[in-house]
Amino acid sequence: MYLFLRSCLVAFLALLLVSGAQAAVPTLTVYTYDSFTSDWGPGPQVKKAFEAQCGCKLELLGLEDGVSILNRLKLEGDNTRADLVLGIDTNLTAEARATGLFEAHGLSFESSSLPQPWADDTFLPYDYGYFAFVYNRERLRTPPSSLRQLVEDENGPTILVQDPRTSTPGLGLLLWVKKVYGDQAAAAWARLSKRIVTVSKGWSEAYGLFLKNEADMVLSYTTSPAYHMIAEQDQRFAAAHFSEGHYQQIEVAGMLRGSQQQSLARDFLEFMLSERFQTIIPTTNWMYPAALAKDRLPPEFSQLIDPSPALLFDDKQVAAQRKIWVDEWLEVMSR
Amino acid sequence: MNSRAIPAGLVLCLLLVIVIAPLAGLLNLGAMPGFEPGDLQFWRSTYIRRVLSFSLWQALLSTLCSVLPAILVARAFALQPSFPLRGFLLRLFALPLVVPAVVAVMGVVSVYGSDGWLPLGRSLYGLGGILLAHVFFNLPLAVRLLLPHWQAIPRHHWQLAEQLDMNAWQRWRFLEWPALREGLPGVMLLVFMLCLTSFAVVLTLGGGPKSTTLEVAIYQSLRFDFDPTRAVVLASLQLGLCLMFAGLTLKLQRLPEVEITVDVAARADKPAVRPLQLLLIGLAAIYVSMPLLSMLVDALGGPFASVILNSALWQSMANTLFIGLSAALLSVLAGWYLLHYSASLALSGQRGRARLVELAGSIVYVVPPLVIGTGMFVLLSPHVDVFGWVYPIVIAVNALMGLPFVIRSLGPALRQNHARYDLLCQSLALRGWSRFRYLEWPLLRRPLGLATALVAALAMGDLGVIALFGTPDTATLTLLIYQQLGAYLIPHATVTALLLLLLCLAVFWLLERGIGGRTNA
Repeated sequence: MYLFLRSCLVAFLALLLVSGAQAAVPTLTVYTYDSFTSDWGPGPQVKKAFEAQCGCKLELLGLEDGVSILNRLKLEGDNTRADLVLGIDTNLTAEARATGLFEAHGLSFESSSLPQPWADDTFLPYDYGYFAFVYNRERLRTPPSSLRQLVEDENGPTILVQDPRTSTPGLGLLLWVKKVYGDQAAAAWARLSKRIVTVSKGWSEAYGLFLKNEADMVLSYTTSPAYHMIAEQDQRFAAAHFSEGHYQQIEVAGMLRGSQQQSLARDFLEFMLSERFQTIIPTTNWMYPAALAKDRLPPEFSQLIDPSPALLFDDKQVAAQRKIWVDEWLEVMSR
Repeated sequence: MNSRAIPAGLVLCLLLVIVIAPLAGLLNLGAMPGFEPGDLQFWRSTYIRRVLSFSLWQALLSTLCSVLPAILVARAFALQPSFPLRGFLLRLFALPLVVPAVVAVMGVVSVYGSDGWLPLGRSLYGLGGILLAHVFFNLPLAVRLLLPHWQAIPRHHWQLAEQLDMNAWQRWRFLEWPALREGLPGVMLLVFMLCLTSFAVVLTLGGGPKSTTLEVAIYQSLRFDFDPTRAVVLASLQLGLCLMFAGLTLKLQRLPEVEITVDVAARADKPAVRPLQLLLIGLAAIYVSMPLLSMLVDALGGPFASVILNSALWQSMANTLFIGLSAALLSVLAGWYLLHYSASLALSGQRGRARLVELAGSIVYVVPPLVIGTGMFVLLSPHVDVFGWVYPIVIAVNALMGLPFVIRSLGPALRQNHARYDLLCQSLALRGWSRFRYLEWPLLRRPLGLATALVAALAMGDLGVIALFGTPDTATLTLLIYQQLGAYLIPHATVTALLLLLLCLAVFWLLERGIGGRTNA
């Protein structure tokens, strides 16, 4: 009981301290996901670099993932503490916009290195990636060369995927199959399901099982092999290039309407598109930066597959259809 | 009048507030504009029906597969009170409980996966894999919780059995089974709840959405779908399942007639060494230690230096310790009052109400932390800065989740203590602190030690709540493990997991020894 009371007291004092500090220098509060704020994520470097130039305190609060960020905003509504949100992706932007909590960024975005034009006046992208099936070259000599081949070859490789009900890559694969197969998606899943070893809750479980050789391929990102090359000097891993193109994920940030720190938030968005921020991304978030010339990427990135054409549904369509598509997937996969 | 009725009432009210209020908060939220409460007929859909029957089926099977062997193993432990490594094995049996689910899955896969020591191939994924993992988690726990029931059998009963020349079956029938019957239903209920609410294990080893449990459906409705109403309905459904199971198992329960005796020394006098029992213990020990061992092997080759030199590790370790110890203290305190109240109710003839009080303390476990946490958030966020309240909330929820463990490990001993000594205490006017100091502490410190150690370890391995609230500097070791896994740092994560296990083992050992005294369990 004593400890409990003490922890209440400590929390209360911490609160006082925080509010005290707020009076001295302005604080910019950013909701993001915790792999961004973790020691290995971009967070620590971003914080240091931005605080050096803004004369403010950057408070990065890490939630579980993009979905949690959006849900937190829905819960808090106008009372949210966040000035800015960083880490939702294009599958969620329509829903996020619909909350009415966001303010137009009012910035021009000329330095874009995205493969497609960007016309969103609420959200600005900071990085992007493509989903892909990653495999170990020594264990799988001839990976499928298209999604259709993966689905339709009865003797094809076994795979590990994530659950679209709980994980972002899982949802990505669902949309990828939908993009390629359209109305035939259910039949495609039925064929594929025989070679799905398991459907995991999140990316970590599936990738961990893959590294334990539980299946030939795992759903991940085209940039995953770069991690193994750069951090582990391990050349064995590669992403299979699929001729239909790869489904894309673009991660964005947006500022909140109710924020007291709007100009600071805008400064941060500008900083986010600057070279300083963008060069941090490739080897911490292991994604492609959204505003950085190709030649500024680490050399290992040039060994990655060319995922074009980028496949992406309109965010409104995802918002409208997601539930129906997930239910359709569930129906097939539960048989 | 019982002086403990008031604190117990407080605890019950608190339970109610912590569980019911968040549910109400969520329902209220779901009714607000902006949330279209999904089709409330959903529970009639084939999907939900399938989910319901699978949840129930896997939980029942897992419970039987864990508890039935656990009875045999606990019996073997009880009848073999001294053999090398006995104390160590019993402490080892507390470990699986604290292994974070994702780490346990990796451990199970290291053993039974295609590159493992006992490869099962694709058949690992499905009901088989779920059972393997659940038995790994729950068999050792059940052993720990059942063992004290043998030790509560008075020595002269064993002597009498010997004089009457009873064979093993008769001893089981007349001595052991009656003693076991008091605690078995509760242990079964606890294991059932643990399996019913299991999530990452079921999803990952289950092989796909065929193996969807209610817990997954609840999680789904609070994430992508964000439909609070549906989440509350599903959580209530889960609560209902548990109540049903509780109703069934409690029918089996018989509180023993306790005679007034001062002799509580608790073991058979000259145990015959039975190779069969040792073999049984050996098998169980191998089964439990294999996944742990594979984690050890994985970790030993890992990047120890870079993990240990990271300042985040030490901060997380301190946070983990703080949360674990606070939650244990709070949980044991709450359980203590609850159990005293229940015991005195039982003694005054109100057995039904006594059971209800106990049940209330146990059953809150099945309301998922995600639901409680989100509900609490809804209630608190308009008034306070929730980020400043992460510790109190995490500790409170963990204490709540630990309550069933306190009730299971402390309950039987405390009830006996009441039955045996209430009259004596009345005649000696031994009350309150002096009763605790001279009577309860010496006799109950062993189960108290176990209860505290269990809850501390459990809270230290918990991920649920802290991930939900998230702040810049409140990482725990479990959260750190997930962060490392999410950043491709799988070797780092295995090292951190090993450190978490060692920390839990140390805390468990210290608490059980420190509170419980030197005698081996």
